[in-house]
Amino acid sequence: MSKKKKNGNMTEQLSEKLPAHISKLLKPYGLKEELVPAGGELLIWTDIDMNDRLEFTRGYLVLCKERLFVLVSEPVPGEVHFFKGRETLATKTQTVNREWTVKEHSLSDMKSMKIERTVGGGCLVLTHKNPEDEKADGEAETIAFFSNHHMGSTTRVERICEKLAKNEEIKPDMLEKKDKEEFCPKCGMMYPDTNRKICPKCMNKKSILFRTMGYLKPYWKRLFVMMLCFLMTAGLNIVWPYLNGTVLYDKVLRHDPDFLKLIGIPGGSFVTALLIVVITMVVTKIVMQAVGILQGVLTATIVPDLVKRMKTDVFSSMGKLSISFFTSKQTGSLMTRVMSDAEEVTGFFIDGLPYFLINVFSILATSVVMFMMNPVLAVSALVFMPIAFLISWRMLPRLWHRYGRRHRATRSLNSRVNDNLRGARVVKAFGQEESEVGRFDKSNERVRNADMAVMNYDNKFSALYSAAENFASLTVYVIGAYLIIRQHSISLGTLITFTGYVSQLTGPMDFMSFFFRWYTNCMNSAQRMFEIIDAVPEIQEKPDAIHLDHIDGTVEMQHVTFGYEKHKPVLKDVSLKVKSGEMLGIVGRSGAGKTTIVNLISRLYDPQEGVVLLDGHDVRDLSFETLRGYVAMVSQETYMFMGTVAENIAYARKDATRAEIVRAAVLASAHDFICRMPDGYDTMIGSTGRELSGGERQRISIARAILANPKILILDEATAAVDTETEQAIQQSINLLIKGRTTISIAHRLSTLRDANTLVVIDEGKVVEEGTHEELLAKKGVYYKLKELQTKALALKGIE
Amino acid sequence: MGMKQFEGADEEFNLEQMEAETEQMLRLRYITKANAVFERTKGGFVALDLTDADTKETEHYDRIRVVRSFPFTDRNHYVSIRTIDEKSKEIGMILDMEKDITPETRAMLEEQMDIRYFTPIITKIHSIKDEYGHAYFDVETEQGPCKFVIYMNSSSVVNLSDVRLLITDLDGNRFEIPDFTRLSAKELKMLDLFL
Repeated sequence: MSKKKKNGNMTEQLSEKLPAHISKLLKPYGLKEELVPAGGELLIWTDIDMNDRLEFTRGYLVLCKERLFVLVSEPVPGEVHFFKGRETLATKTQTVNREWTVKEHSLSDMKSMKIERTVGGGCLVLTHKNPEDEKADGEAETIAFFSNHHMGSTTRVERICEKLAKNEEIKPDMLEKKDKEEFCPKCGMMYPDTNRKICPKCMNKKSILFRTMGYLKPYWKRLFVMMLCFLMTAGLNIVWPYLNGTVLYDKVLRHDPDFLKLIGIPGGSFVTALLIVVITMVVTKIVMQAVGILQGVLTATIVPDLVKRMKTDVFSSMGKLSISFFTSKQTGSLMTRVMSDAEEVTGFFIDGLPYFLINVFSILATSVVMFMMNPVLAVSALVFMPIAFLISWRMLPRLWHRYGRRHRATRSLNSRVNDNLRGARVVKAFGQEESEVGRFDKSNERVRNADMAVMNYDNKFSALYSAAENFASLTVYVIGAYLIIRQHSISLGTLITFTGYVSQLTGPMDFMSFFFRWYTNCMNSAQRMFEIIDAVPEIQEKPDAIHLDHIDGTVEMQHVTFGYEKHKPVLKDVSLKVKSGEMLGIVGRSGAGKTTIVNLISRLYDPQEGVVLLDGHDVRDLSFETLRGYVAMVSQETYMFMGTVAENIAYARKDATRAEIVRAAVLASAHDFICRMPDGYDTMIGSTGRELSGGERQRISIARAILANPKILILDEATAAVDTETEQAIQQSINLLIKGRTTISIAHRLSTLRDANTLVVIDEGKVVEEGTHEELLAKKGVYYKLKELQTKALALKGIE
Repeated sequence: MGMKQFEGADEEFNLEQMEAETEQMLRLRYITKANAVFERTKGGFVALDLTDADTKETEHYDRIRVVRSFPFTDRNHYVSIRTIDEKSKEIGMILDMEKDITPETRAMLEEQMDIRYFTPIITKIHSIKDEYGHAYFDVETEQGPCKFVIYMNSSSVVNLSDVRLLITDLDGNRFEIPDFTRLSAKELKMLDLFL
């Protein structure tokens, strides 16, 4: 269903017309007015945002089969330039009367079209060829400038031009605009991040609120009791000052006979009445305490459970996400925050929201009671409330701001200390202890200043706030006293009741002033959480994925093009094949794209073009179980999880017996060093446990792969991090490991690849050479050069 | 082209040549008006003829790339002249833009660097709003008013010095505040989150 919709969108974008006013400008050049990409002469077009004087303005690149048009307008003074995340459909298509310059560049003598990247953008450079005049051959000119905002679309222009220059066929899918939807369908605003389709404007906070409430459902009985507790507390809070003031002073102490009648004590025994009132007061206090305790107990039973549930939800969703989600920077920092978000959200719903309701109730009820008792006094008591509210409304955010700054300063100080501790060897080796103290001091001073700012402002705030509070009670006292002395309109008890109410009101006022901020924070946290929970992984198992019970282990890549960032291909049209049980060696300098090949074979990423085949099946059609069950990897980065050595070896096969674990360790030549450790296989390793050397870790990860018993084994620089002697030992284990498996081995030490059936040499994302060891040596190409270099280098050191 | 071809798959392997190449990599070669002639090309680039002091051989480059080694802290010294291809090898280095080359050459090279280091200077901040992990900037620059978005993390706003800020937006566009202490108190308050 959703797939259909996507296709629909794609064709829609494909037929995106060149804006009419631009078509009109191109009319004199013999182009039809209704220009549709891929429909005729026009191939693609894109907007750009700079002229050749490096001023921001509007412009277009219009690529046709034989020529490229660059249209640039004169900058309009005062016009706002929108970058990623700020552009809207409206601003994008907005047309103002401008002066246009059209430049036509013939592509018939195009040698190449390249983007020259600058620090914040790029320029399109056209190189001409001129076979007749050698001097004019390779003459280059810059034809367009643009900021990084348009880098993606101009890169497409570059790629198509590259095909044109080589006279290669342009496949229709190259002209398709595959970009994700960039604009919010509701308001037309551009998403700041196309991977996270969240429009800051249209985000529905209400739906988040209700969704979070869904988490509270299982606790509804306890929550109901909690609400009752809150209500009781609020009610008793109103009763208490009344008992303490009006009843005690006016009724009992002033010997009010009506009161005695009311509570049914005959004979004017005010001592009995006093006793009853006191007992009532004690009982009220006890009930208030009991309710408070009950409420605390309930909170304690709900909160941890709720937090745990949310965290589990988030964590299990995180596991499903593709590797790209973790490696991309902004989402990476998102992850770390998510865990604390669960607490923030829970805190709000258990503490914040009920308190808010109760406080509204308290303020209203108290005001009503006060007005009923004495309107004049009520007004004088309440008149300071808005002031107190205003003070905290205005000042609290600023106070938080300062707290935030202190927090950041402390964090930076901590990381400075951390940096120093981790680099302690270097600090000592270069004798830089003193300069480190200086650097520390700078950060430390920042913390001190931030801390002082916090205290300063906090004092100011407290002083002002309590002044307002005190003024409120003072006013009540003064006016109350006046009313008692002069007008006799109220009694002492009423006054005492009133002051009680006033002191109770300030708390809720204070709370209200920061409640809204708390609400926004909570919604932000909840939104981040749901974002992870709802994120759709890029690499997904097809619903009708094929499950293979047995595989032969043939791996093939056909014309694969892939880049981690869409417009920066790391692999370009790579094809290779490994037959079942054979070994393929991949050679190439660092950064050539070797590890990327491995990432694609194990389907951590999907190729942008081409296919990866396993036994003739597209890996995208296979179930994850098949894929992960038959492919295992030993890489340069060995990761040890927190746990025992045995647990680490059995990581991929939890059901392995002790015999199997020991056998795997023996085969990986890890058994000996494991047994030498005091706790043997039960030694705790990982981030909290014993430190292992690089070779030891490597051997454990080989044992892990042996135990996993994969049909396809990937060795990604498995021995790069260890010394030559250890390498020899590990190599033997590897030789045992690769028997009967399809092996893909990446190495820059060619000696590691001696036994490979085929070798491919990768350079700058392309396969440059392919063949057996002998064939490649006979070719005297890159491989030969590398081989010579390595043997000579080793000979120099007297190693071989 | 007069440049020697060290690379190339069909060529015989030659250790001496390779060592010479490595040696060249380790050597810093200075470019001055004495050994180099820069020339503007028709397409607006710069060509270079460089004569080696020892061999007296002249290398010709149709087009060169001009790169600052210290773009933030020392604009006029250690300017690296590099080849235009993807490998971008260093041809040589200009130690001092003022003394070592002619004013004409300097203007020519500065022009190339102006393109490379194009960074709008923020002159006024209208508003900064942070929402859902992004901060929305609305500023006035020397290039006119700009609206952009950055990620709310420490790498988006970098202190180049005690007063100088470099702001990088979602796409990697850069904006600079040369001296934030010259901003008004109101603007500073908005910026405070990043300081």
